[in-house]
Amino acid sequence: MSNRMNMQGNQACAMGAIAAGCRFYAGYPITPSSEVAETMARELPKVGGTFIQMEDEIASMAAVVGASMGGAKAMTATSGPGFSLKQENLGYASGAEIPCVIINVMRGGPSTGMPTRPAQGDIMQARWGTHGDHPIIVLAPASVAECYSETIRAFDLTERLRVPVIVLVDEVIGHLVETVDVGALTPPAEVSRKLASGPADGFEPYAVTQDMVPPFPRPGDGYRSHTTGLTHLPSGFPTQNPAKAKAALSRTTDKLLHHADLIESVEASACDDAEIVIATIGISARAAAQAVTDLRASGIRAGLFRPRTLWPFPEAALKAATANARAVLVPEMNQGQLVLEVERLLGLNRVHRLNKIDGEAITPAEIVAKAQEVLA
Amino acid sequence: MGNGPTNVLIVGVGGQGVIMVSKVLAMLCQKHGYEVKQSEVHGMAKRGGGVFSHVRFGDKVWSPTIPEGEADVLVALEWAEALRWLNYMNPKTGTFIADTQKIVPPFACRARGRGEEPGYAPQTPADIMAQVRAGYAMDATSIAEGLGNLKAANTVLLGALSTTLDFSVDSWLEVIRQFVPPASIEINMQAFAAGREWAQAGDKRVADSPEGLAKVEHHAPVVTDWQITAEWCKGCDICVKMCPERCLRLTDQLVAELHKPDLCTGCRMCEWLCPDFAIKITNTPIAEAAE
Amino acid sequence: MTDAPKTDEFEINDYIRLDQMPHFLCPGCGHGIALRALLWAIHELGIDKDKLAVVSGIGCSGRLSAYIDANTFHTTHGRPLAYATGLALARPDLHVIVITGDGDSLAIGGNHLIHACRRNLNLTTMMLNNEIYGMTGGQVSPTTSAERYTTTTPAGNTEPVFDACALAIAAGAGFVGREVTMQVTGLKNLLRDAIAHDGFSFVEVLSDCTEIYGRKNDLGNSPEMILSQKAQMRPEAYRNTVDVPFRPNALKTGILARNARPEYGSAYRAMTAGIREKGK
Repeated sequence: MSNRMNMQGNQACAMGAIAAGCRFYAGYPITPSSEVAETMARELPKVGGTFIQMEDEIASMAAVVGASMGGAKAMTATSGPGFSLKQENLGYASGAEIPCVIINVMRGGPSTGMPTRPAQGDIMQARWGTHGDHPIIVLAPASVAECYSETIRAFDLTERLRVPVIVLVDEVIGHLVETVDVGALTPPAEVSRKLASGPADGFEPYAVTQDMVPPFPRPGDGYRSHTTGLTHLPSGFPTQNPAKAKAALSRTTDKLLHHADLIESVEASACDDAEIVIATIGISARAAAQAVTDLRASGIRAGLFRPRTLWPFPEAALKAATANARAVLVPEMNQGQLVLEVERLLGLNRVHRLNKIDGEAITPAEIVAKAQEVLA
Repeated sequence: MGNGPTNVLIVGVGGQGVIMVSKVLAMLCQKHGYEVKQSEVHGMAKRGGGVFSHVRFGDKVWSPTIPEGEADVLVALEWAEALRWLNYMNPKTGTFIADTQKIVPPFACRARGRGEEPGYAPQTPADIMAQVRAGYAMDATSIAEGLGNLKAANTVLLGALSTTLDFSVDSWLEVIRQFVPPASIEINMQAFAAGREWAQAGDKRVADSPEGLAKVEHHAPVVTDWQITAEWCKGCDICVKMCPERCLRLTDQLVAELHKPDLCTGCRMCEWLCPDFAIKITNTPIAEAAE
Repeated sequence: MTDAPKTDEFEINDYIRLDQMPHFLCPGCGHGIALRALLWAIHELGIDKDKLAVVSGIGCSGRLSAYIDANTFHTTHGRPLAYATGLALARPDLHVIVITGDGDSLAIGGNHLIHACRRNLNLTTMMLNNEIYGMTGGQVSPTTSAERYTTTTPAGNTEPVFDACALAIAAGAGFVGREVTMQVTGLKNLLRDAIAHDGFSFVEVLSDCTEIYGRKNDLGNSPEMILSQKAQMRPEAYRNTVDVPFRPNALKTGILARNARPEYGSAYRAMTAGIREKGK
């Protein structure tokens, strides 16, 4: 069914969420993500959902996790400083395996930084923002259509795997208006978490199952289980037994390895014969796509590697895409975050950086110039 | 009544109307031209504490209080108060007028087990009557209740008191009218007449079936069972110190134990205040336990 | 929400997770008494354990949820009210009860508390006030009394204290009450009324921390502490009979505020139902 409409990236995140079955949104106003909240406030009541503007960023993340603990598909959206504040309860969701989706529309930082200017400075915070080792999935859309479809995929993943999913948008994509065919992008059936069934006696809310994702004991279904942010046993109750603590933590991280195929999503175009591969995300990837075309026109065999799933990082895919490349260029709107992961995987010799931190997006011309420089 | 003042000691429990009785008497005496001194302790006794009032009247009254052993009449609105003040009555010439009803303060009970006799003011009316020259141990409360309002028990006792003093019935009733609420004048008139009639029957009279004494309400007797989960007890001492009967203690291992089970009344204070949920008290009514 | 009130005897073992007992609280900690009162109130209201959700924060108070045989959520420091707000809005069929402490709800979670009061969502909060951060070793809290010694006020506390109930009333909570643990049946009745209230209800329980706070300040053992707490209270029910000047510094206990402001959840649902109706 074709349903073409002009839509803003932030709106697309909201509409994608509703299409995915999201029925609870808690948020706090912050530039440049406020349109997500505004769209949710308008649209959720129409589908019987609940919108609430909480007293602060911390509370809105907590309310989202709380709603999800009740079984609802829940989401919040934020930016920079708000994302920092959300890390506490994001960590809880990660540790206690509560599904939830966080839209983070990146702006200039640190601190208040440049609220209305784009940046890509949260690449590492999205991965390591909350303390301790924790599983997390980060998706990085590069268009309005992807804001829609990746938010749907975010719900799909968070509900299937019980891992918080961050949709990492930058200010340019968030405020970009494009034509989107919503009908074509909406999958036929939304995915919901696997609910606990069977006898309540002896039920273990964090039992080790074959797919490593424990079924969710929905309140009211008779399981009366305990949920805690403390390191916990399969029974849900805290432990400090070294072997059991290790097993408990390992399962939550191994869970992502186990489902790597489901999680991974990469765009690798023109990489097979590429002498230079440009690896980047978001708005920088759109500039990179144009740069690849321009470079090819000028006789340089360039390719584009774009991880739609940014974390866990698609290691094998990057290695495959860059197997024949002499150089790998990582343009990003920060002082070098994504490049650290690329350097880790490919070594320092052929990896080059292009960084921009002035509140402006990277242009194709800048990428072309840098590519020519590193190949010279 | 001799040359000195006439002494009437009125005692009871807060809320019964001791002050009303003494005011009625004082005004009556005043109307007959006597000098009257009325001195009382109340106010501290809001509902349940002891109240007493000394009324002295005569041609000349100097001291406001009645010396021990010199009360001509002791009027007690409550049985235990009657016993408490008995030594104030003149042993040779005094008249004893008391309601046989007991109002038992919870903290005055020696034996607090459910269903046990409280052991409070155990002397029977007959015991006391044997010790006094003249007296009436009457179930004034039941009489008043029979008339329709047990609050009029004090007026029943006034009726009895009127037989010992030399004032006319009409003058008594006139004063009582001034002191009772208009709506209850009629019932107080009846109460006065009933009390007076009861006392006129003889110098000494004890209520045949002093129902009042039997009216002490008991909780249904129970069998109390204790369970102390030693593994949960942390020895905080709360149960030991809070037990009203002091029947718990801590062992050498700092675990609560019931060392005086006979004293336990099954009040459950220890159970409710145990922060560790280590104590469980089960009270089974005796009838059920026997089944 | 239409559970039939139960009249049968309250058995605490029916409401706790026996496999988690004994609980981890120190000897004589009043939190245990408060937990009994809470479960007792739940029993009297006839709330189905499957429909009961208990959300707690961090600290000694936060650990209580683990011992309750219900849907329990031990969340992050100061945030249980925010979690509970999400849970109660998403699941209006649940009875949501928050257990929090003085540090949890007045310091790190103060913002959530005042906004929960303002919003008046149907939640019940039991705040256990022991005047101290017990779990972290006894640091000063927003309710630590003047001049009391804590590990972070080695020369005595010089900060003024929060009156949590006054704060809750000012912020608009639908139901506010306070009780001491010693009055366990009174506390039970207060919690029962609080849970039954349609709106946000806040109950402050004066609890004792004997092991840390009591010891450092020579406040005596547990029985002495809970008795002295009781002595410092002025029951609101006796407002007209107890002389105020007699105990000028006494804290009031009992129900301190109760109003019929609209409950947020039902108001929101009515609003959204109206939107859907219009959209048809």
